[in-house]
Amino acid sequence: MDDKTEVLEREQLDIEILRDVNLRLPAVVPREAFPAVPLTVDARLQTRAVGQRATRPDCRMHGLGQTKYIDDIKLPGMLYARIKRAGISSARIKRIDTSAAEAMPGVMAVVIGEEIPVNSFGPTFQDQPVLAADRVFHAGDGVAAVAAVTEQIANEALEKIVVEYEPLPAVFDPVEAMRDVAPKVHAPNSNIYASKVVRIGDVEKGFAVSDHIFEGRFSTQMIEHVSLEPHAAIADWDATGRLTIYATIGRITLARADMARTLKLPMSRIRLIGTTVGGNFGGKNEISQEPALALLSKKTGRPVKSVFTRSEEFTSSTTRHPIIMDYKSGVTKEGRIVARQIRLVLDGGAYCSWSATTLGKACILSPGPYKIDNVLTEAFVVYTNKTMTGAMRGFGAPQVCFAYESHMDDIAKGLGKDQLEIRLLNAFDEGSSSPTGQVLHSVVVKETLNKAAARFGWESQS
Amino acid sequence: MKRRGRGIGCMWYPIGFTVDANPSAATVKVNEDGTATVLTGTVETGQGALTVLGQIAAEALGIATDDVHVVSGDTDVTPMDTGAIASRTTYVTGNAIYLAAEAAKAILFEAAAPMLGVKPSQLEAKDRMIQVKNFPQRAVTIGEVAFRSQVVLGQPAIGSATWNPPTVAMDPETGQGKPFATYVYATQIAEVDVDDETGEVEVLRICAAHDCGTAINPMLVEGQVEGGISMGVGMALQEEMLFDANGRIVNPSLTNYIMPTSLDMPEIHVDIVQGFDPTGPFGAKGVGEPTAVPTAAAILNAIHDAVGVRITALPATAEKVLAAIKAKKGALKQIPR
Amino acid sequence: MTDVTLTVNGQTRSASVPPETTLLVLLREHLNLTGAKLGCDVGDCGACTVIVDGMAVNSCLMLAGQANGRNVTTIEGLATRDRLHPVQKAFEDTGALQCGFCGPGAIMASKALLDDNPNPSVKEIRDALSGSLCRCTGYTKMIDAVQEAARVLRNEATKELTDART
Repeated sequence: MDDKTEVLEREQLDIEILRDVNLRLPAVVPREAFPAVPLTVDARLQTRAVGQRATRPDCRMHGLGQTKYIDDIKLPGMLYARIKRAGISSARIKRIDTSAAEAMPGVMAVVIGEEIPVNSFGPTFQDQPVLAADRVFHAGDGVAAVAAVTEQIANEALEKIVVEYEPLPAVFDPVEAMRDVAPKVHAPNSNIYASKVVRIGDVEKGFAVSDHIFEGRFSTQMIEHVSLEPHAAIADWDATGRLTIYATIGRITLARADMARTLKLPMSRIRLIGTTVGGNFGGKNEISQEPALALLSKKTGRPVKSVFTRSEEFTSSTTRHPIIMDYKSGVTKEGRIVARQIRLVLDGGAYCSWSATTLGKACILSPGPYKIDNVLTEAFVVYTNKTMTGAMRGFGAPQVCFAYESHMDDIAKGLGKDQLEIRLLNAFDEGSSSPTGQVLHSVVVKETLNKAAARFGWESQS
Repeated sequence: MKRRGRGIGCMWYPIGFTVDANPSAATVKVNEDGTATVLTGTVETGQGALTVLGQIAAEALGIATDDVHVVSGDTDVTPMDTGAIASRTTYVTGNAIYLAAEAAKAILFEAAAPMLGVKPSQLEAKDRMIQVKNFPQRAVTIGEVAFRSQVVLGQPAIGSATWNPPTVAMDPETGQGKPFATYVYATQIAEVDVDDETGEVEVLRICAAHDCGTAINPMLVEGQVEGGISMGVGMALQEEMLFDANGRIVNPSLTNYIMPTSLDMPEIHVDIVQGFDPTGPFGAKGVGEPTAVPTAAAILNAIHDAVGVRITALPATAEKVLAAIKAKKGALKQIPR
Repeated sequence: MTDVTLTVNGQTRSASVPPETTLLVLLREHLNLTGAKLGCDVGDCGACTVIVDGMAVNSCLMLAGQANGRNVTTIEGLATRDRLHPVQKAFEDTGALQCGFCGPGAIMASKALLDDNPNPSVKEIRDALSGSLCRCTGYTKMIDAVQEAARVLRNEATKELTDART
């Protein structure tokens, strides 16, 4: 049976009929016509638009299964690419032999690191290669990219690529990595690749006048974004030498700049299309495979698509920084925080990515939303030969919040104070100064504490 | 035996980049019938940014959300945007869109003023009309004005704008400065049951009170809170990437990387605290990341309240909690008489 | 090559595919039904969920050949020219879809539940959704949506019964 003769009727669905909109509705719906249960469709028709529970037209498409994510896009002649992953955490690449892969039927092109015109990128330090050319820094590093007529052939071709590694010393623990004797991940640079300090008042004096001192060490784990949609991209050139990239990247302006840099192209020759992305959470804020796909597309003269496997999402995309957090607070017997000293060590993975930003935010936020006259926070981010840590929802805030709030409860317990009362005693007010000396506005910490407590039914127990 | 506990997590979180410029640019085009198209370089990554940005433009132009179409995510067509990151879209891109809409509206007011016999500064846009402030009886539809402006007067109502949060660089020695233009605040309170024989933690309910400035779309704010809490539950109790002695990930799959399913979610009560911020579009700030910040803290504090053990290394798996409970019992037994 | 003939969304479709082809790949690549998504390819995430002979199934775990002669419903088969399926409408109206990638799978799992159990408890809804991973929504609004859809479907069934009687 020829299934080309059976065309789905869905293309003919009249979406307008489904929207059920009466265009003669007045702009403001008269009060008598308000339904007992607000209909969210009506919310889109109100002319005070702010504050409406408006439904999303893109969700209409999602619910129908009609949204085209990158993996749903097929271009004529499109090839499928896969990337060979190093599988070793620290090594020198002695030799890459792609000839057997290139000879396979169905394999159209192979690209390796040294073919990338500028093989480095990164939002702060450009320490990350598109494809590892002579050094591997973590097991998920890509060392070669293959484009073939089917994904299956591309997968098989990966196994035919021969890479000879000379293993090098590696370090996996950030505290270890801070020591002088530790192997240098990006030699000759120190493993401590960024640091930050926030200092106000004098913590030693503050501790000296405190009634009680509390200390604690807290640590968090490496976490992956797990967007349901994996990283995906399509690269395509037109006959005028213009490159189009469809990508799951949430920052297409930056992505275009990075493509221009890595491929040495003027920006006017690059078009970055950010499709509807199936979840980002910070993990899709920089390029990864796109320049390699662009070169594969250029070599073959055909569009090239690649979608990360779920395994690559873990091994080869950014993750949340594990942080080791040391807290020391001096408090009065009433529970007012007089001084707080904090030290943060962030596991910075193999490349910087968004670590400098994470470091900065974690450092600034680490004392918590509390009025403290004497603060000293020192934060460091350290290279290790593990998956690169980058931007993930909160940039260090969830980690330090876990620490400062656990610490606060330890203080409350130690003083016999109620956990809500002690926070209300210390929390910012409108016009309070942050630890960086900024005068804060639109401050509603106490409102959120009281609101949540009322909703919860929190009865004080001190 | 199951022991109940409650814990508070309270937090603050900034909107936008740390000190560094992170501008957004936007263009608002009013069509000849009074509906509008918005061009933004941001990318929809699921949070509903395009809907919220459309609501901001609609509010500024006095039209309905449904009258606005938002085009995004194409460097050939849409202006630059620093991107969907750092919870900045509603605040920074929103401000750019607000300013662009105001610029388009100014062109409309120039066209409408002679139609209504007043100065442009006496006009406002409301309910799909351009009307005189405090004398709304004198009004004309936005469609008529837009048509006249573009087709008759030759002045299409297109407005473009950029916006960047004002910051002050931080001193390298002391960190003193104004790294962000605004912050949001929130509290989550968790109630848990801890089984003191297995170490299993069940999160029963979380009451979340979140500040987002003005809530442009409360339904989407709730969605962010609920989604953020699910990430927080995972961070608190389940998720961990594990490495072997050679630095290779042991669990690169969803079979062995445990994250929350529908069975792991508590009852969630969301209260939006509207901390109006005059520097944001219609008082809005942001909400995307803050929702994932205090959850683990609240849950771990609740575990502490329930069974008196302080887990200091996340995740608080059942094994860890049980080991801590046993250690505590053991320590108590060892107190010399 | 394996020849497969099956009913998809009420229409007979057929294709000739390599024997290791999964039902998911058959639907997406050969029948151009891209609603079901590839999230993990090993049955962990549920983004590929479709209904086969009345049962919600991870289509990445079923071979195309195993679907031969069977009745498959995908997300594309729910709406008609006149209306959205109540589950789709409820997901949209309650805000239960954010990035939408898990949506088709979650909606099909919900439909399979409601086809079987028109008045599910919250626990039964959570169980039915437990195979659909979602990172955006926290599942809360999905549960509301399924309850709303159940209500609408029960009312329609009652109305049909009443209409039939009069």
